[in-house]
Amino acid sequence: MKTRREFLRSTILGASATWTVPMFVERTFADLHMGARDLATQGVTGKDGTILVVLQLAGGNDGLNTLVPYADDAYHSARPRLAKKEKQIIKLSDHVGLNDSMPFLGSMFKEGNLGVVQGVGYPNPNRSHFVSTSIWETADIQNRSSTGWIGRYFDNACTGADPTVGISLNKTQPESFGAARNPGVCLSSPELYRWIHGGGEKARAEEFFASLNSPEDDDSPVDGASIDMPAGGKVGGIDGESNLAFLERVAMDARVSSAKILELAAKHRTKVNYEGTPIARSLNMVSRLIAGGMPTRVYYVSHGGFDTHNQQVNSHDRLLGQLDRALKSFFADLKAQGNDKRVVLMTFSEFGRRVGENASAGTDHGRASCMFLAGDAVKGGLYGSHPSLTDLDQGDLKHSVDFRGVYASVLEGWLKTPAKPVLKGDFARLGVMG
Amino acid sequence: MLPAAPDEWTIQEAAHLLRRAGFGGSPAEIASFHALGRYRAVDSLLSPAEPVDAFVLPEWAKRETAAAEMRERAVAQREMRRSMQDMTPERADRTRREFNQQQQRLYRQRGVEAQGWWLRRMLYTKAPLREKMVLFWHDHFASSIQKVRQPVLMMGQNELFRRHATGSFKDLTHGILKDPAMMLYLDTQTSKKGKPNENFAREVMELFTLGEGNYTEQDIKEAARAFTGYNLNRQNGTVFHNRRQWDGGDKTVFGRSGKFDGDDVIEVLFEQAAAASYVPRKLWEYFAAENPPEEGVAALARSFKAADFQVEPLLREIFRSQAFYSDKIVRNQIKSPIQFLVQMFKELELESPPHAYTVSAQQQLGQVLFTPPNVAGWDWGKAWINTNTLLTRYNVAGFITKGSQETPKPARNNGDDSMMTMDDAGMGMDMQMEQMDRRQMRVSNQLQRAQQNWDGPDYEKIAPRPLREDPEKLVDSLVQRFFQTPLGAKERGAFVEYAVSKKGAIFTNKEVGELCHLMMSTPHYQLD
Repeated sequence: MKTRREFLRSTILGASATWTVPMFVERTFADLHMGARDLATQGVTGKDGTILVVLQLAGGNDGLNTLVPYADDAYHSARPRLAKKEKQIIKLSDHVGLNDSMPFLGSMFKEGNLGVVQGVGYPNPNRSHFVSTSIWETADIQNRSSTGWIGRYFDNACTGADPTVGISLNKTQPESFGAARNPGVCLSSPELYRWIHGGGEKARAEEFFASLNSPEDDDSPVDGASIDMPAGGKVGGIDGESNLAFLERVAMDARVSSAKILELAAKHRTKVNYEGTPIARSLNMVSRLIAGGMPTRVYYVSHGGFDTHNQQVNSHDRLLGQLDRALKSFFADLKAQGNDKRVVLMTFSEFGRRVGENASAGTDHGRASCMFLAGDAVKGGLYGSHPSLTDLDQGDLKHSVDFRGVYASVLEGWLKTPAKPVLKGDFARLGVMG
Repeated sequence: MLPAAPDEWTIQEAAHLLRRAGFGGSPAEIASFHALGRYRAVDSLLSPAEPVDAFVLPEWAKRETAAAEMRERAVAQREMRRSMQDMTPERADRTRREFNQQQQRLYRQRGVEAQGWWLRRMLYTKAPLREKMVLFWHDHFASSIQKVRQPVLMMGQNELFRRHATGSFKDLTHGILKDPAMMLYLDTQTSKKGKPNENFAREVMELFTLGEGNYTEQDIKEAARAFTGYNLNRQNGTVFHNRRQWDGGDKTVFGRSGKFDGDDVIEVLFEQAAAASYVPRKLWEYFAAENPPEEGVAALARSFKAADFQVEPLLREIFRSQAFYSDKIVRNQIKSPIQFLVQMFKELELESPPHAYTVSAQQQLGQVLFTPPNVAGWDWGKAWINTNTLLTRYNVAGFITKGSQETPKPARNNGDDSMMTMDDAGMGMDMQMEQMDRRQMRVSNQLQRAQQNWDGPDYEKIAPRPLREDPEKLVDSLVQRFFQTPLGAKERGAFVEYAVSKKGAIFTNKEVGELCHLMMSTPHYQLD
C-alpha cells in the first residue's frame, strides 16, 4: 500500500501530465522523495504484525450486572429488581461471575483467553457521558488534551505510516484517534468508500477530481508541510489548522485509502455466520479488512445503548448478548483465517453505574466498571480486585485500577511501544499481556 | 454591545448572512436580499411575515387528530387485552406482538414523514432564520425519535421550538421541562419521590443552561428531587404534576433552599452567572465561528442578561456586528449535513428534491432530523467531516446534480453495509437494534425507487444555452452560484480547463451536470 507521500509522488504527477505543474509542487515532491526514505522504519503491521481492536460500550456499561458479585449480599440488597441470581451467572470465582447472556466470553475465560479487569476507573471521576468518554479517549483525566491516546500512539510509533494505520468503523471519528499527524480514517461501508463519478469519460473527470482534492497551497513551506498536515484533536483538527486545510487533508486521506480498502474488503468473504446487529457487522468488516491484509494496527468499533436509566434488565442483557454473539463470530472468523493470534480486543466504557437501582428499575451514572481483554495472546484471568459494595463514595464504587494502566499494558505488551510518551505518565502495567 | 457594521454592504456579505442565518439561496434571492441593505435584511430575518403555522402539518400531527387517535388506540388496546384473556398464552403473545409491530410500522412511516415535512419547510420557508433556530434548539435540547418513538410528540416539540425560536430562552427551558418528548427521552416521567432519576437534573445543568463544571454533584442530587412527580399521560400526551410522587421536602440548590418544584429550580439556574454566557457562546459558534474571543462572549452575555434571556436582540447584535462579516468568518464554517443538503437544493433551484433519497442522504452524512445521536446533540464543525462523510458528500452531490440517468446504481444496502446503524449505536439510546436493520432495508428500497426517476436539476435555467458558448463565463456563473465568492486561481483554472475540454460541438445538460458535480466534489464547497 502506498503512503501519502508515495501516492502523491507517483499518482498525481503521473496522472496530471496534461497539467502545468506549478514550480512549488515540483520542489515539494523533490523533498518528499527524501522523506519517503524513512518508510522502512514505519510502524505499520505488514501482514504479520499485531492488531488491536478497541470496542466501545457507549453509554456507561453497568459493570455490576456484567461482572456480577453474586456472592455479595450487598449486591442483592442494593438491587432488588436488577440483581442477577446465582443461577443467572457464569461463575468465574467464588465471588464474581459473568452475566449469563455472555456464554462465549465465559468459555473464553475457561480457555484462558479472556482477561477481566475489575474496578477500573480514574481519580475524581466525571459522570457526564461526554466528558468521561473524552477522558477515556484522550487518556487525560484533566481532559485538556487535543489528541487521543491512539492518535498519540500513531504519532509516536507509526511515523510515515499510511492513513489506514487506524480505521474506525464509524461514521464519526473517535476522539481517541485525534493525532498531530495521522488520525487514521473512518468508513462505514467499503462499497461506498470511493468517489462515484458515473457518466462517460470517467478517467478524465477523475483526474480533475484528483487535482481538486489534493492539498496545494502557494503559501506553504516547501518541506511538505501542506501534505503532512497536522490533524486530530477534539473534533478532528488541532488549533490553528484552518477548516480548509483540514478538509484538504481529509480529502487526500480519503483518496489514498479508498481504492485499497475497496479492493481488500472485496477479497475476503467470511464463511462464519454473523448476526445482523450493528456490532456484529462492524466486527465482520474488521475481520474482512484483516483478512485482506490492511496494514492497520488499530481498529475501532462501537456498541451503543448502555445508558440504562430505565427498565435496565432486558435491554442490558440483550446488549451483552449481542456483544457476546458478535465476538463469537469474530473470533471464529479470525481463527478460520489464521489471524487469531494476531488480534487482541479490548472493551471500554465511559463509566459504570450506581450500585443501587433507581425508581425506574434502571441505574444512574456511577464510576468504576470492568474491562475485557480478549484474544489468544491474552493471559486470561481476573485482574485487580473487585470493588467493595459497602465501602462507597457517594453511592459509587471506588476504583482500584487506573484505566491508563490497562492502556499501558496493551501499548507495551501488545503494540510493543513505550507507553510513557503516549500516556504522558507512568502507570502500573497488569500482567494481562504476559 | 459588539461594534456594529454599517448599513451599506456587499453582495458577498449579503450571501454570507443568508447562508448563515438561513440556508443560502439562488442568485436571484441573494440579489433581492442584498437590495434591502444590511439592517433591513437582518430585520426581515428576525420579523418574518410568514406565520408560525404557515405550513400545514401532516394530518396525524394535528392536535385534535392526535388526541382522537390516542383515545382510539387506548380503546383498541383495552379490547385486545380483553380478547387475550380467552387465548392460549402463545396466541396472546402473538396478538400482542402483532399489535406492537403494527404500531411500530406506523411510527416509522410517520417519522420519515416528519423528517420530510421539516426539511421541505427549511427549503421553502420565507422565514429561514426561524427554521435555522428550530434546528439550533433541536440540537441544544436534543431528543431522539428512536427513544421517544411517537412522532407526534417529536412534532409537538418541533412546534415548541418554533414558537419560541427567537423568544425567551428561559420560557423555552420551562417548556422543555414539561415537553412530552423530552420527558420520555430523559425518563422524567418515571422519577418519583424517594427514588429520583437524575437524568434530567444533570442534563438541564450540564447541557441546557450552565455548561459542564458550573454545578456540583450535590446540586444535581438535590435538583433531581425537585424534578420528581412530573407525569405524562401517554394516552393523550398531557403532562401534569402529581403532588403525591413529588418530593415536597426542602432542597438546597446553588445555596438557595426551599420546597422547590421543577420550575423553581429552573428559576434558580437562571440566576447563575453561567446561564448568561452559555447560550450566547453557543449561538456565536452556531452562526459565526468556534472558539469565540472571551470579550465577545462577555459582551453578548451582558446583552442577554439585560434582555432577560430574550434571543431576538442577541441575534440582531450578532448579525449586525462587524465581527460577523470578518474575513476569518466568511466562508470558513463547515456546513452541517442539513445545511449542505438544503443549500445545495436551493442553489440548484430544485422544485422538488427526491424525498426518499434525502432521508437516506441524511443518514449517510451523519445528521438525521429528529435523531440526534445523544442528549448533547450533534458534534459540529470538523466533526462532520472524516474520510467517510466527505466521500459521501461528493457522491450525494453526484446523484443530485446528475440524476438517475447518469449515475450508476450505488452499492446495494446488503448485509455488509452498516451505513446508518453505526451512528444509531450512539449513547443514550435504548433502542431496538434489530428494528433498525429492517428500517435500513426499507430505506434502501425507497432509495432505489427514488433513484429510478430522479431527473436532476433544470440546467436550461441554471446554465442558459448562450452562457455555454463561453466556458469561462459558464464557470464564473456557476462559481458565483455555488460559492458566491471568487475562487482561488487553481480551482477556477481547473474548472475552466475541464469546461474547455468538454466544449466540443455541444455543451449538453450532461456536461453542465458533470461540471456542477466537480465543483461540489471539492473541499471548498464544504465551507460556508
